[in-house]
Amino acid sequence: MPTTLEPVVVADPNLDNATSTQRPWIVIVWNDPVNLMSYVTLVFQKLFGYSLEEATALMMDVHEKGKAAVASCGREEAEMHVFRLHEHSLWATMEQDK
Amino acid sequence: MSDRDFEPPVQAVEGGWTLNFDDEERAFLTNLLEELRGLVTGPADDPLVDRLFPKAYRDDEEMEAEYQRLMRDELVVSRVAALDSVIARLEAPEPEIMDEGETVAFMQSLNAIRMVLGSIIGITDDESADQADASDSMEMNLYEFLSWVLDWTVRSLSPN
Repeated sequence: MPTTLEPVVVADPNLDNATSTQRPWIVIVWNDPVNLMSYVTLVFQKLFGYSLEEATALMMDVHEKGKAAVASCGREEAEMHVFRLHEHSLWATMEQDK
Repeated sequence: MSDRDFEPPVQAVEGGWTLNFDDEERAFLTNLLEELRGLVTGPADDPLVDRLFPKAYRDDEEMEAEYQRLMRDELVVSRVAALDSVIARLEAPEPEIMDEGETVAFMQSLNAIRMVLGSIIGITDDESADQADASDSMEMNLYEFLSWVLDWTVRSLSPN
């Protein structure tokens, strides 16, 4: 057991408040008329590890409802997902969960 | 199997993937990919590349500007690396077997050409897609050829 006191961890003063940083970020893929359905399904499987059934259901949501949330995570991870979706020319955006 | 049997343009084979294009098709695809490379590395405000560099933040201009400042160049680099690998492969098709990374780069690059063609043809929604489909223009035929190759590429990469 250490005999000295652990340093006190203070919250980053730049952050507005704790809750706004804890709310997850949602990665959304929007419908577009160019990407093939089979292609979108494969990209979902490849990038997120979804099964064929899960990826197909999400792709159908994009196609029929206009969009689908494909991931919920921290901001940095969400930006990485958005980037990789953009590499595949999918229309992906991110927003903080309300 | 005779030589006349249908050969898919992209095929999963033992140890990887192969492209089955003749010299003319290779030269033609290389040309398109080089044009795309020019667009991707060209002016950022060219509307033809809008679809290749989508927004990340829809409702927050500040965060969007920051994201693009940090990531747009990254996306250019990534697209150019994919294009270069595909162009090199089409120009020197030996060894014949491509690895997964090259095949994915081929898929991404082919789809990127379709994105630009979609803008040229004016495909902005499902309705204009149907109209374009009926137009039978040269661009539409090219778009459909690329869609066909892309669909085979997707199939060859899909896990069973």
